[in-house]
Amino acid sequence: MLGIRLEKIPFVQNGYWVKNAKFSVGATSEYLLGLYSIQEAAAQIPAALFTDIRDKTVLDACAAPGGKTVQLADLMQNTGVIIALDIKKQRLAALVNQLERCHVSNAIVYEMDARQAARLNVKFDGILLDVPCSGNFATDENWFRQRTIEDVERNAKLQREILKETTAVLKDNGEIVYSTCSLEPEENELNIDWATKNLNLKVERVDCCGEEALTDIFGKKLDASVRNCRRIWPGQTQGFFVCKLKKRVDAA
Amino acid sequence: MKLMTGFISRFGSNFHFDEKFVVEEENRFFLLNANLKKAATEGFFFAGTYLGKVKNDRFFPSFPLLSMIAEGKANKVMVDKKTEWLFICGRDVFKRGIVRAVGSKKKGAYTLVINQHDECLGFGRITAALDETERGLAVKNISDVGDFLRREKTR
Repeated sequence: MLGIRLEKIPFVQNGYWVKNAKFSVGATSEYLLGLYSIQEAAAQIPAALFTDIRDKTVLDACAAPGGKTVQLADLMQNTGVIIALDIKKQRLAALVNQLERCHVSNAIVYEMDARQAARLNVKFDGILLDVPCSGNFATDENWFRQRTIEDVERNAKLQREILKETTAVLKDNGEIVYSTCSLEPEENELNIDWATKNLNLKVERVDCCGEEALTDIFGKKLDASVRNCRRIWPGQTQGFFVCKLKKRVDAA
Repeated sequence: MKLMTGFISRFGSNFHFDEKFVVEEENRFFLLNANLKKAATEGFFFAGTYLGKVKNDRFFPSFPLLSMIAEGKANKVMVDKKTEWLFICGRDVFKRGIVRAVGSKKKGAYTLVINQHDECLGFGRITAALDETERGLAVKNISDVGDFLRREKTR
């Protein structure tokens, strides 16, 4: 009726592909009133992997520009508390713009490095780690020219630091959903293998699209549970990696 | 806080907050609930529902605040679909685009502008008594939700 043709995305609950639009779907009154948001299809997967988070305390550790924060608030029906962090003040402006537009009322936003989450003195039921990553060629045509293996390794190290520091503020039995839009094993399977061996986290099975993650990489055999992670190859979506980790009860 | 309550009263609204849940952070006002109040520590960038900010002794409302005012008794003009689109593009409201008006219709009064689904699009000032004018400019646009896009462009 409005001149927009939508197609249901089969692997997410409330997502639609815009197949054709006679005008910008980011400039309708419905969009400006917060009735829907625009987000890449694979990016809609991580927030939905948490077990029921209504009334819970959730950390969105690398939150800007806020698409997933809004999605978390929607899943929580504006109950509980979301604490959203981002290190760059400029990016926080985009984040709070989204929160205001979508009438999110259960979030607290800080300009803070995710590695300093312990300063908040809060223990979380769930932590979303959509960590800074190297991206992938599906969304960046200059990807191969602009990245070196050193860049990937630097990101992988940062991601492990974020995993370590945020696991320390996760409750026993709490859940971390870890995701990247990178396809590099260093930022994905190798980090998760490291987390299972060093952080008292176990990889949970998830019901979502994508292929089982790799467990034999660069001649190295990884923990078999890493298979439970999901690797989404570029095609219908951007390249993506996602998994759910649970803190063991016997964790120190 | 006084500037904010003064602003709300200009719509003929009796909307009020439980003041103990309103927090000011660098001239910006936020409405928290008990959970958020317990969790929020000093120096947050944003929390709960953003209500608006004070700058140069003037109160600038957020859109969630305008929506909250619109839920109750307040001056409102309901506009048709075409006028809705023009209004969110920053244009003023002409008499022919008004479907219905409630509350004060007097020249100079503040009024919320809502669409036909009762969703608040922004607010403006009545420029000609709505009961008396047949045509022409009726509500001068002061703020509309199209501002979300303008903020993106100016960042």
